[in-house]
Amino acid sequence: MNKLKLNYTSLSFLPILVCIPLGYQLITNIHFGGFKLFQEFLISAFNPKIDNEIIITAINRLNQTFLIGFFSWLVSIIFGAIFGILSSNIFYKIFNIPKFFYSMIRFFLTIIRSIHEVVWGILLMQIYGINFSIGIIAICIPYIAVNSKVFAEQLETINYKSFESINQINAHKFSSLLTLIWNPIINTFKNFGLYRLECSIRSTVILGLFGIGGIGTSIFLSFQTLNFRELWTYLWSLAILIILSGVIYKKIKFNNTNKILSIFFIVVFFITILFSFFYFLFFIFNNNFENFNSVSSLFKSSSNFGLFDFLKLIFDTIILSLLSTGIAISLPPLVIGIFNNNTSKIFIKIFAFLLRLIPIPVILLTLLTFNNPSLSLAALTLGLHNAGITSKLLFTNLDSQDKRNYIAMRSLGISKNTSWLLGLFSQQAKSYLAYCAYRSDIIIRETAIVGVIGGVGLGWQLQESLSSFAWQEVTIVLIAYSSIAIVGELINGKIKNSLT
Amino acid sequence: MNNTLLELKNISYNYKNNLILNKVNLKINSGDKIALLGKSGSGKTTLISVLNGTIKPTQGEVKLFNKSFEQLDRKQKRKITTIWQDLRLIEDLSAEQNVNCGLLAENNFYFAFKNLLNISSFKKAHKYMQLCRLDNSIYNKKIRSLSGGQKQRVAIARSLIQGSNILLADEPFNNLDPKLITTIKNLLLENVDQNTKKSSKTTLVALHRLDLLNDFDKVIGIRSGKIFFNIKRTNLNKLHLDKIY
Ligand SMILES: Nc1ncnc2c1ncn2[C@@H]1O[C@H](COP(=O)(O)OP(=O)(O)OP(=O)(O)O)[C@@H](O)[C@H]1O
Ligand SMILES: [Mg+2]
Repeated sequence: MNKLKLNYTSLSFLPILVCIPLGYQLITNIHFGGFKLFQEFLISAFNPKIDNEIIITAINRLNQTFLIGFFSWLVSIIFGAIFGILSSNIFYKIFNIPKFFYSMIRFFLTIIRSIHEVVWGILLMQIYGINFSIGIIAICIPYIAVNSKVFAEQLETINYKSFESINQINAHKFSSLLTLIWNPIINTFKNFGLYRLECSIRSTVILGLFGIGGIGTSIFLSFQTLNFRELWTYLWSLAILIILSGVIYKKIKFNNTNKILSIFFIVVFFITILFSFFYFLFFIFNNNFENFNSVSSLFKSSSNFGLFDFLKLIFDTIILSLLSTGIAISLPPLVIGIFNNNTSKIFIKIFAFLLRLIPIPVILLTLLTFNNPSLSLAALTLGLHNAGITSKLLFTNLDSQDKRNYIAMRSLGISKNTSWLLGLFSQQAKSYLAYCAYRSDIIIRETAIVGVIGGVGLGWQLQESLSSFAWQEVTIVLIAYSSIAIVGELINGKIKNSLT
Repeated sequence: MNNTLLELKNISYNYKNNLILNKVNLKINSGDKIALLGKSGSGKTTLISVLNGTIKPTQGEVKLFNKSFEQLDRKQKRKITTIWQDLRLIEDLSAEQNVNCGLLAENNFYFAFKNLLNISSFKKAHKYMQLCRLDNSIYNKKIRSLSGGQKQRVAIARSLIQGSNILLADEPFNNLDPKLITTIKNLLLENVDQNTKKSSKTTLVALHRLDLLNDFDKVIGIRSGKIFFNIKRTNLNKLHLDKIY
């Protein structure tokens, strides 16, 4: 028997093995009570409720969602760029600042982004009460840190030699800095801006499910009342919003030779900075803390959950991340490889789009109609949603790839699937895995969402502790979360480096 | 007029246990036109990087205007400009923007900003580009889309526009055709000024072309990081060359 060779291609498929334990647990947990509901949910997708009233509601709610999403995006991408510069090597080289500050700021940003926006949202809501601004602030906090990482990564691509040559010209340090970072920053805006806007709208929707407002809240309410036709009206209108903002964003040409446009961007840039700064101050000083009385309550010992339970929660969270990552990595190439023809491709694309569109909690709630809550179900949900995202990337890369190898293999009479695997996918595998490493960072953070809803892992404990105002427990859970995410990020960083 | 501008005292440079420069002593006086010879890998580029302060030597002292680099202010450091062997242009910027980068030192932050937005004046940049025989069709082309010789001349223009007194050029004739080589050589050595016959500009050029030595007045030979000779060009003979090649 041939030994299985470990290469990038096989490594992309191996993680599908997680389906064995996962499937086992899912099958043992199946129930048929809600099958009818599930059927109704599916049918409603083709038959959404359309009347004047609901359309007006949808538009209003979308407006809110878009506003929150857009402002969080604007603020987080601008501050992301600023913190990206502050956490990039080039800044410290030009200004000769000790490396200590570099490590400090990086560490600080890592901690901030290790906690998911939903967790920030729940926390802030618990402290300040439900409030429109909380949506923006909850998204901005982790997003600034996430964006800063993206910017910093692009800034690391600056050639050290061109730094030396600009340095040798002995210009003002700010002039040198600006000249060197200009293109990486603009390119990051161009390449990641749209994606981040989409993320920000999605996060707003998810926060909406937790009561922030906007279309998310409507989605949640219609799900709660099992009004699936209404639900799908909201989901489809959300789809339109996401597609539309993508189209508009692509229409705006970031041509930095257009003077008026450049000046416009710069004005927006500075106004956003000033405005968000004052807004933040206003927010801090104008809100009375509802439930959060004093810092000392953080340390008041009132914890009643034992070490063992706690370790189990951590363990669950890690397993949850691993299982979901397995699905997100392997499912897309497997499905695309097996159903390798044009019609199936369209179906897969639509399905992937739906998985990205429907907020994670809604997917989970839908699956709960025929399965009892379990860790596997949460993992399946998270895995499927992320598979929707990884498959989009895989499709984009496959479509733009050179197909000569594939055509050559086909002409030799090799089967369609084998040629696809060896002629097309094998060349993508490495960069695909590198992207998946980055994706699994996000999956770890997103375990919080399914945790809260599906009753597993630390997310669930967080919800419990928060609702009983056990701030010490909350702190411990947050530290645990953050540690898992930070360790995950370190490991994934290592994997990514070895892949690129 | 024989005042020393740049001086290397007993310079050694190690890189991972390799001795790349070995006890180099060198004086560059005002108005010197120096040709730096040596075979590939002999340490020419490293020597130039020490001279412009990019590389800190492991041992020895570098003095510019009798001071170490740390003691100099930005204005004084600006008196040196370098044409790098690997050019070190900013690939994503246009040719004229890159040339304008040479003016960053004498202008403020706003100039850098305008340069990137493409709204600054490119008059001076164009003048220097024309001197290097770059015509207006390439002014706003990105560096990555230029030919080797065009890139080379953009790097030269960026250096010349700085108006520094000391010019260090590392194989500046790469990728140039014979006619361009003459033009560029004249620009670097400022042989254009026929009245005084001698310009105050100080130039050190690393090169491989022995047929171009005529316009230099000094020749330095380097081999394995050691200076083998440092003589007047008129004294150069075959024995010298045998030592370093
Ligand atoms: N960054 C570096 N890392 C390792 N070795 C280096 C580095 N830079 C230079 N060297 C070594 O130092 C020695 C001198 O290199 P240098 O570039 O100064 O030679 P050169 O005379 O300019 O050669 P060429 O004519 O080919 O440009 C070489 O042996 C080279 O391998
Ligand atoms: Mg060299």
